Amino acid sequence: MTLRVPERQARGTIRPWAALRERLLRLLPLDLLRGMALTFRRQAPSAVYTEQYPQQRPVVADRFRGAPRLNNDFETGETLCIACNLCALACPEALIVVGAERNAQNRKELTFFTYDLSRCMFCGLCEDVCPTDALELTQDFELASYSREGAIWDRPMLENGPTPKRYEK
Amino acid sequence: MSMAGGWWLVRNAECCRRPGVLAAGLTAALPAPAANLLAAVTSPQAAATSPPGNTGHFLLATVYILLIFAGISVGVIVMNWVERKVLAHMQVRLGPMRVGPHGLLQPIADALKLLLKEDLVPQGADHLVFWLAPVVVVVAAFSAFTAIPFGPTAAVSDLNIGVLFVLAVASLGVLGIIFAGWSSNSHYPLLGALRAGAQMVSYEITIGLAVVAVLLHTGTLSMQGIVRAQIDHQQWLLFREPVAFGLFAVAMVAETNRSPFDLPEAESELVAGYHAEYSGFRWSLFMLGEYAGMMLVSAVAVTLWLGGWTRPFPNVHAAGLDALFSFVPAACFLLLAGMALRAAWKMPGHRRWRVQRDGLAVFGSLLLGLGLLLAVPPMRTACQNVFWFVLKVAVFQYLFIWYRATFPRYRYDQLLRIGWRILIPTALANLVLSATLTALRP
Amino acid sequence: MSHRTTPDPLRGGPMTAPAPGESHLDSSEMILNMGPQHPSTHGVLRVVLKLDGERVVDAECVIGYLHRGVEKIGEHRTYMQFNPYVDRMDYVSAVSNGLGYCEAVEKLQGVVAPPRAQVVRVMLAELNRISSHIVWLGTHALDIGAMTPVFYSFREREEILKIFEKYCGARLTTHAFRIGGLQWDLYDGFESDLRRFCQTFPARVDEYETLLTENRIWRERTVGVGRLDATTCKALGVTGPVLRAAGVAWDLRKAQPYSGYEKYAFEIPVGENGDTYDRYRVRLQEMRQSCRIIAQAVDGIPDGPILARIPKVFKPPVGEVYHSIEAPKGELGFYIVSDGSLQPYRLRVRPPSFVNLQALRGMVRGALVADVVAIIGSIDIVLGEVDR
Repeated sequence: MTLRVPERQARGTIRPWAALRERLLRLLPLDLLRGMALTFRRQAPSAVYTEQYPQQRPVVADRFRGAPRLNNDFETGETLCIACNLCALACPEALIVVGAERNAQNRKELTFFTYDLSRCMFCGLCEDVCPTDALELTQDFELASYSREGAIWDRPMLENGPTPKRYEK
Repeated sequence: MSMAGGWWLVRNAECCRRPGVLAAGLTAALPAPAANLLAAVTSPQAAATSPPGNTGHFLLATVYILLIFAGISVGVIVMNWVERKVLAHMQVRLGPMRVGPHGLLQPIADALKLLLKEDLVPQGADHLVFWLAPVVVVVAAFSAFTAIPFGPTAAVSDLNIGVLFVLAVASLGVLGIIFAGWSSNSHYPLLGALRAGAQMVSYEITIGLAVVAVLLHTGTLSMQGIVRAQIDHQQWLLFREPVAFGLFAVAMVAETNRSPFDLPEAESELVAGYHAEYSGFRWSLFMLGEYAGMMLVSAVAVTLWLGGWTRPFPNVHAAGLDALFSFVPAACFLLLAGMALRAAWKMPGHRRWRVQRDGLAVFGSLLLGLGLLLAVPPMRTACQNVFWFVLKVAVFQYLFIWYRATFPRYRYDQLLRIGWRILIPTALANLVLSATLTALRP
Repeated sequence: MSHRTTPDPLRGGPMTAPAPGESHLDSSEMILNMGPQHPSTHGVLRVVLKLDGERVVDAECVIGYLHRGVEKIGEHRTYMQFNPYVDRMDYVSAVSNGLGYCEAVEKLQGVVAPPRAQVVRVMLAELNRISSHIVWLGTHALDIGAMTPVFYSFREREEILKIFEKYCGARLTTHAFRIGGLQWDLYDGFESDLRRFCQTFPARVDEYETLLTENRIWRERTVGVGRLDATTCKALGVTGPVLRAAGVAWDLRKAQPYSGYEKYAFEIPVGENGDTYDRYRVRLQEMRQSCRIIAQAVDGIPDGPILARIPKVFKPPVGEVYHSIEAPKGELGFYIVSDGSLQPYRLRVRPPSFVNLQALRGMVRGALVADVVAIIGSIDIVLGEVDR
């Protein structure tokens, strides 16, 4: 069951000449040289792991939870949001505010939608509860803004998405 | 300025050596022609084969001082870039890439930034000592270069106590570090300074004993003399005193506070050690001093054990070998130029990269020009010695970086134990053995 | 002087300041504030050291610089809503935190995650154990002055984080699990990703070992440093690799298996001396063992649902529950009291880092400043978890 870490066997069990040999080998800095050989080998340019970010962009996974987006119907261009308020209720930080009013057919219609990104922890609970897949966390990850207010996204921003500056290689 | 001061020290040492030229020494402050005249009269044997410090050529000595000062400074800048690049590649990263092609201008940018930073002296610091500390470190590191022979004549001076002078002046650096730690009036620098004090003093003994073992074979303390002795022996002293060289190679790392002996500035323990309270230009002086110190100890090692300015296999004069070796400096520069130009050629054609590409191309052309210049016969012979010397020193610099990338850091007590219990006894034993062997030799 | 006598390592009051009549000039001791901004206190830990030269006479940990009131937040969130917050306690092993919390709530509710979900949980938790140990290894080596392992280890961590990102959409604070199972099924290529990782990773561990294990400097710095025997460990409640390094084969994955850990063949690495070196060896072995568990789990992922039946309005029955798991740093326990409402009445976390940190004072007494850094590193604390 247990795995004893094989470390420093009792000295007495080692035969004297073996102990002497070990001592003598210890005089040679083989341990240090092995490490140096490793670092030397790693100098090969092919070993470089760095990603030069603004010029080389990371491949973001499909499920990545990034900037929120309010989806519109592809054909009609109308919002998919039915203003059910479930996302606002699910949000642990209560940072989503959904505004709606009843229209002539007594159906709720979305008037405004604010999403405070400065408090968002991208847990994805809002996305999970959305019954119409209107709210979605996208693969955009460049969310910096010059002010705190800039991190509060309104409906046009949520629908159109952020437009960060793109650098090219 | 520091170099001039160092030279003045050299002059004084010269005076003490030869009472006959005391007059020449005293007139060091005189205008150059007068000093020259006096020197020429008192030491008529001095010809163009000696460094200017010995011929009393004040003007030439000053030029050499300035040349060495500039050379070391450029060396520090180059070393800064190379260290960051090599270290980065050993650690599977890229290192500086943004300022200039492959980050070539990064050291310049950093130097500018440091110069422009606010000059801060912490409250409660001893202002005078705080100011003095980095100056001492830099002066000590640079002054010692006055006695380093870059070539038979390419040196400021050839002291007959050259080794002693270098060791003595270089060891003054520890004072600057202790000043820095004490005057900062802060705990971490104080601890760093105490560590530095104990460490550098302990390892200097090893260095001294290792050097003495070399002197047994050369019979002279003059740096030039040591190289000439190796030429006469037709053998690098490395092969006669390998143990001493090993000891020196370890002790010189400790002496310059480099990994794995970088305790005085261990960033994971003492934040930044003795220079924790320094910033901006003062801090950069410490860095300058540290890197100059690394080059200095490497230069000493090269002079004492690795044949100084001589090319590899100096005693083999087979047909064409001399000519072949004389082409190596030019070939090196041409190779570097080729690499730079190839990299510039391979760069993507996007306009964002144009500045970088052009910069790299200019840099490559510069190297190309240097390489071509070195291929011209008179330059070829003139620069050869300096080239080999610098190349040998560069190998040591690479080793310094390599150690830093590979090893963990020793602890304070372990460091001192290694110094006192292993290195010093070994050095003593080696000295006794060498002395016995030398005495028995016919 | 009274403060020179070494108090009981388990107890001992706050460190005494110099008496009013006693001038600080009389004393050869120096108070050194290590942290909260220090490169190697692993976050915002502050250790007040009383030094005699470089030797530590006494030490006091001051914590709370990263206190965010996680337990109190738990009382004001629904059970589902609190789930992402546990990721932020031990932020280098978010998956394990989520596993502990979800299992605790499931125990409270009386549901069990479906078999498929359990296997996925084990795989992700073991990946997370590796990534947590990797971060530990890199930073610990950096503390002891070896610069390079941190870059090599973060390279491997990146592979793990990429798998996390592909699976659940986040790299660090994953929010990977849900109460009752999982939110997402596996992505296409998950198995091949894991298999590839399991194939390449042991060679990478060999690289770290080349740089450190036999290195004489590393051994000098770690062997015999920060010794903690099994009795003291037990008395202090120390768990995890620190306890196992002291020779106690206590691993909750074996002792009280959860999430189907009893199905996998793996061993508990155990040290002998309880010093920093043994902790290092134990953690390296644990990484290899985790790799073994992952390899077994990948070959036997059952089909089926990934989420148990959980009511939309989640109100667990009145009662209380304690559930603990073997997090990378030790026993991570959640104690939840439910009053039958949407939110926990009380939520208490037993964080391994906090408990293990208590051993620091006893270990650093008599050590040198450089050892303090090595010892703090060897406990493997995350201040987000210590302060919560």
